[in-house]
Amino acid sequence: MALEFSPETYKKFEETVNRYPKKEAALLPVLCLAQKEFGHLGQEAIEYVARLMEQSPARVCGVVSFYTMLNTKPIGWHHIQVCRTLPCALRGAERLTSFISKTLGIEVGQTTADGRFTLSEVECLASCGTAPMMQINDDYYENLTDEKVTEVLASLK
Amino acid sequence: MDPIKLTIDGKEVATTKGKTVIEAAAEIGIDIPHYCYHPKLSIAGNCRMCLVEIERMPKLQIACNMPVVEGMSVLTQSPKVLAIRKAVMEFLLVNHPLDCPICDQAGECWLQDYYMQHDLQGSRFQERKEHDRKREVFGPNVVFDGERCIKCTRCVRFFQEVTRTDELSVVNRGDHSTIALFPGTVLDNPLSGNVVDICPVGALTDRDFRFKVRVWYLQKTSSICPGCSTGCNVSVETYQNRIARFKPRINEAVNSHWLCDEGRYCFHDLTGGERLTTPMIRQEGGLAPTTWERALEAMLSGLRGSIPLAGILSGRNTNEEAFLFAKLMKKLSQDCALEVLYQERELSEVQKILMSPDRSPNFRGAREMGVSSNGGLEPLMRKLFDGHFSGAYVVGEDLMGINNDQDRIRQMLQKLSFLVVQDIRMTETAQLAHVVLPSTHFGEKEGTYTNRNGRVQKLNIATIAPEGALQDCEIFVRLLDAAGDKVSYSTPVEVFDALAKEVPAYHGLNYAAIGEQGIQLGGGEAKQQ
Amino acid sequence: MEKVLLRNIDVPDSHTLAVYSSRGGYRPWQEVVKNIRPEQLIEEIKASGLRGRGGAGFPTGMKWGFVPKDSPKPKYMVCNADESEPGTFKDRLLIEKDPHAIIEGTLMAAYAIQSHTAFIYIRGELAFGANILERAVDEATQAGYIGKNILGSGYDVDLIVHRGAGAYICGEETALLSSLEGGRGWPKVKPPFPATHGLFGCPTVVNNVETLAALPWIIEHGAAAYAAMGTDKSKGTKLFSVSGHISKPGVYELEMGYPLMKFLEEDCGGVPNGRRLKGVIPGGGSMPVLRPDELEKVNLDYESVQAAGSLLGSGGVIVMDDGTCMVRAAWNLARFFAHESCGQCSPCREGCHWMEKIFHRIEQGEGRKGDLELILNVSGNIMGNTICPFGDAAAMPAAAFVRKYREEFEEHITQKRCTIRNGVME
Repeated sequence: MALEFSPETYKKFEETVNRYPKKEAALLPVLCLAQKEFGHLGQEAIEYVARLMEQSPARVCGVVSFYTMLNTKPIGWHHIQVCRTLPCALRGAERLTSFISKTLGIEVGQTTADGRFTLSEVECLASCGTAPMMQINDDYYENLTDEKVTEVLASLK
Repeated sequence: MDPIKLTIDGKEVATTKGKTVIEAAAEIGIDIPHYCYHPKLSIAGNCRMCLVEIERMPKLQIACNMPVVEGMSVLTQSPKVLAIRKAVMEFLLVNHPLDCPICDQAGECWLQDYYMQHDLQGSRFQERKEHDRKREVFGPNVVFDGERCIKCTRCVRFFQEVTRTDELSVVNRGDHSTIALFPGTVLDNPLSGNVVDICPVGALTDRDFRFKVRVWYLQKTSSICPGCSTGCNVSVETYQNRIARFKPRINEAVNSHWLCDEGRYCFHDLTGGERLTTPMIRQEGGLAPTTWERALEAMLSGLRGSIPLAGILSGRNTNEEAFLFAKLMKKLSQDCALEVLYQERELSEVQKILMSPDRSPNFRGAREMGVSSNGGLEPLMRKLFDGHFSGAYVVGEDLMGINNDQDRIRQMLQKLSFLVVQDIRMTETAQLAHVVLPSTHFGEKEGTYTNRNGRVQKLNIATIAPEGALQDCEIFVRLLDAAGDKVSYSTPVEVFDALAKEVPAYHGLNYAAIGEQGIQLGGGEAKQQ
Repeated sequence: MEKVLLRNIDVPDSHTLAVYSSRGGYRPWQEVVKNIRPEQLIEEIKASGLRGRGGAGFPTGMKWGFVPKDSPKPKYMVCNADESEPGTFKDRLLIEKDPHAIIEGTLMAAYAIQSHTAFIYIRGELAFGANILERAVDEATQAGYIGKNILGSGYDVDLIVHRGAGAYICGEETALLSSLEGGRGWPKVKPPFPATHGLFGCPTVVNNVETLAALPWIIEHGAAAYAAMGTDKSKGTKLFSVSGHISKPGVYELEMGYPLMKFLEEDCGGVPNGRRLKGVIPGGGSMPVLRPDELEKVNLDYESVQAAGSLLGSGGVIVMDDGTCMVRAAWNLARFFAHESCGQCSPCREGCHWMEKIFHRIEQGEGRKGDLELILNVSGNIMGNTICPFGDAAAMPAAAFVRKYREEFEEHITQKRCTIRNGVME
C-alpha cells in the first residue's frame, strides 16, 4: 500500500502550499506535515513528498538530512531532548542526562524497548535562564530537578 | 559592455563590467587556483581556494564571486594570500584519505597539483579522520568515493543546471556532509560521464577507465568524436597504441566542456575486434589472402563489369576520403549511385543537449564532397533491395546492421554480381564480398569532418594502424591511379588542399585555418580560433 | 528607565489582542499605514539610532535604506525568530508574552520597504511560541491590521508564520533565506546582498525579533525619545539574557551603557553558593569570554564591549564561577559549533570539527604539546575566510578560551586531567 496523505492532511498540504509565493518554499512545512502523518520520513515518505512538491527525491533527501528535527528513522512516542549547550551544562545538564538515562535504562540515542521514550541530547533551546531543561515532543520542561523529571516521565504514557 | 580597468599583481587589465576577478585574471593568463568554480556552473564559493587580497578591503575575497570594479587592485601572490592557500589546502586534506597510490586521479588531481604549487607543508592534523563510503557505484559509468570528496558540489550543480536531472544532492551537515544518490536510483543519464571530468579529485571516477593506466603514461591527441554529427571535440588518450579513454576538449562553438556518454565510450565498438591485415579475394572455397596489386586489379575489373554501381560510404570517413571516393566511383561509372550511411533515431531531452540523432559524424561533409545522388540512403537501399544494382563498393560499414531484417539484407548482398568491402574487420558484410580491403578507423587517420552545422574540424592520428592495413585515402589514390586517373595528391593535407579548390563551400580553407577549434563554413561566426 | 521591550510582559494575557490594544497597541501601526510615508518611516528609524539586535548591531534604518525603491521585483520582509545563540532567550520571551509587538513591528518594517509579503521565521523547537504567534496573526488579521487595503490605506501586506526544523545556522540571514526558499540552510555568497537579491532573488530585509518589537514604541514616542536613552553610538535599550552561575537568571531590559559588573552583582544577585566569578561571555556563545579582571570598566553597549576585546552580540550573558573547568566549557562550545556547521565551506566544515577533536582530547587528559598553538592557528585560519560569520563565531570563543585561561589549559595537558572539577561541569 503506497504511502500518502489522508484527505484532511492533503487539504492542509494544499492550504500550506497556497500560502507561499512559490511552491518550493513550502517544502519544510510539508515535510513536517509528512513527519506528523507518517511518524518519520523514511524513503517512501520522501519519495511521496518529492512527487507532491515536483522535486527530485535526491533534493528532498538533501533537505531532510540537514535539519535535526526531521527524523529519517522511527523514534519513540516521547522524544526526550535534553539541552547540552554551555549555559545548561553549567547548571547540571550532564547530570540530568545521566539521571534520565539511568531511570529509563537507555543510552543517549536509544529508544526504550516498549517504544515509549527516545533520549537525545540537543543544542541550545533558548531556555538558558531556566536551566537545566528538556523538550519532550512539542513541550518544554524547565528548571528541572530529579523529582520533577521523575514526575514528568511517570505522567507520560 | 562598460569597460573596467583594474590591476592584478601590478599588471593592468582592461575588461568589462560584470566580470569577476577570476575571469579578469584568466584574461591575462593568471590562473587563480580554485576547485568549486567552473565557468559553466553557478558560483558556489565553498572551497575558498581562490581567496585573494583586494587593496583597501580588510578581508580576503573569493575571486570567483568578486565583481571587478574600476581601479580595483588585486593581489594574488601577497603573503596573506599565499598563507591562506596553504591553510585551505590543510583544511581540505584534514579528512582526505591517503589514497594516491590506488586513486585513478593521481597525476591529474587538483589536490596534488595545488599542493605542489601552493603548499608543500605537512598537515598538522593528528586526529582520527572521518570515514565515508568508498567505491560506491553511482551508475554504469561513475564510481563515487566519499572520503576523497571535497564537497565542491560541481557534480551536484552539473546535474541541477546542465542536465536538469537532479540525481545528486549533498546530504547531512557539517563534516558529515557527503554526496548521495537517492536510494534505488542510478546515475545513468546520457551525460553522466561529465562529472568525472569536472570532479577535481578522485571522488568521481570513470568505471571504464578504472585502474587501466596511470594518466602520465597517456599520449594525448586532439581529434573529433566519431559518434555523431555534433562533432564534439575530444582528446584521444592512448597507451601502448591503444585508446584508453576520450576526454572532451573545450570548444564553445560545438560541445562547450562536455561529451555525451555514448560518444565518450564509442571507441570500444569502433576500434575493437580482430583487425584485417591483408586484402582478401574470393576464390573457390571462400576468401583468401592476396596482394594489394591483385586485389585492386580484381576490384577494378569486377566493378567495371558490374554496372550499375552503388557506393556506400561510412559517415565516419573523412572529407578527404569522401572526396577521393566520389572521384573514383564517378570514374568507374558516370551514373553510379553514391550515398553516405545516415540513419536517424529519437533522442531524449537530455540527449538533445549534445547529441545529434544520427551516428554519422561526417554525413554532411561526405555529401558536400559528392557522395550524394538520389536523395538519401533510403532510396538507395530500396533500389539495392529491388536488385537495381549489379555491383557495390561498401566502405567502413557493416550493412547487416542497418535494420533487423538480416536475412533480406544477406540475400540482397549475395545477389550482387560484385561486392567490394573496405573495413577494419571481417564483418558479416565482408564475409559476402568478392574483394575485402583492410583499412583504418577514425583514430588512425588524419583528416577532417564537417559537422551537421557546417563546422569543419580536424582529426589527428592517435594510434598507428596494424601492419598490412592501408589508409582509405591511400587505397582510393591507388585505385584512381590504376583506373587511369593519376592524381597529384595522396596525403590528407594534399587532398584537402585539392578539395578546397574544387568544392566551392571549402574555398580558401586549409589545415592551418582549421586549427584546433575548427572553422565554420560560409564565414559566419567562426574565424580561425 | 522606561521599558520599551518588556513593557507588556507582566500583564496577564499580554499575548492577546485585547490586552495589547488596551495598552495602546496597533495605534502606532495605524498612524504609520495611514499618515506616514515609507521614506519618512525610514528616516525616523535612522534618527532613533536603533541597531540590529540579533547580534550584528547594524543600523536598522540604514539597512532598510539599501532596498532599491524602484525595483520591479516583489520585496520581502522577514522577522528572524530563529533564536538559537547559546545563552540567548530574549526573543522567546517576546514571542510568548508580546507577540503583537513583534507583529506590529514586522508590519511597520514591511511598510517601510514597501513589501507586501512578510514572514516570521521561527525556529521549529519553539512550537509553543509558534502557536501563540499564529493565533496572534489571526487576531490581527481579523482586526484588519493585516491583509488587503489595511484600514483604507491602500496598502496590502500578508504575514506568514514559517517554522524551521532545527538548525542554528538558519539564524544567519542568508541561511534563513535559503531555508525559507525550501532548501538546506546554506548561507549564500555575498555579493549580491539580500537588500537587492534576497528571498527568491528579490530585495529582502531580515530583522531580529527584538529589533522589530522596539518599532511600535519608537513610533509612538518618537525617535528622539529613543535616542535620548543609551550612549552616543548605542542608542535605546536592549534585552539581556542572563544564565549560568548567577543567582537571578532571566531576561532583563537595560538602557545601553549599563555597567556590566553592577548588572551582575546588583540586578542579577551575583554568583551564588559562595563561589567567585571566573569568566563572563557577554554576547552569546559566539563571543570571546572575558576574565573578571577584564570586566571592570565594561559597559553593556557595542563600543565598550568591543573595546574590552569581545562583542555585545545577542546580549546573551553567560556567567561562569570558579568551579568551572574552562577546558570543558571550551569543548562544549566547540562541540556546539561542530554540530551546527552547515558544512559548505572548507575552513568551517573541517576546522570546527578539528578544533572540537583537539579540545576533547585535552579535556580527556590526552592533550599534546603544541595543541594550544594549533587551536589558535586553526581558529585564525577560519576567521574571516568563510562564506558567513559562523566561522568567526566558532573561531572566536575557541581562541579566547585558550588565550584567557592559558595556564589552566596547559595544566590540563601536562597533568592529563582536570585540576578544577574532575572533568564534571556541575
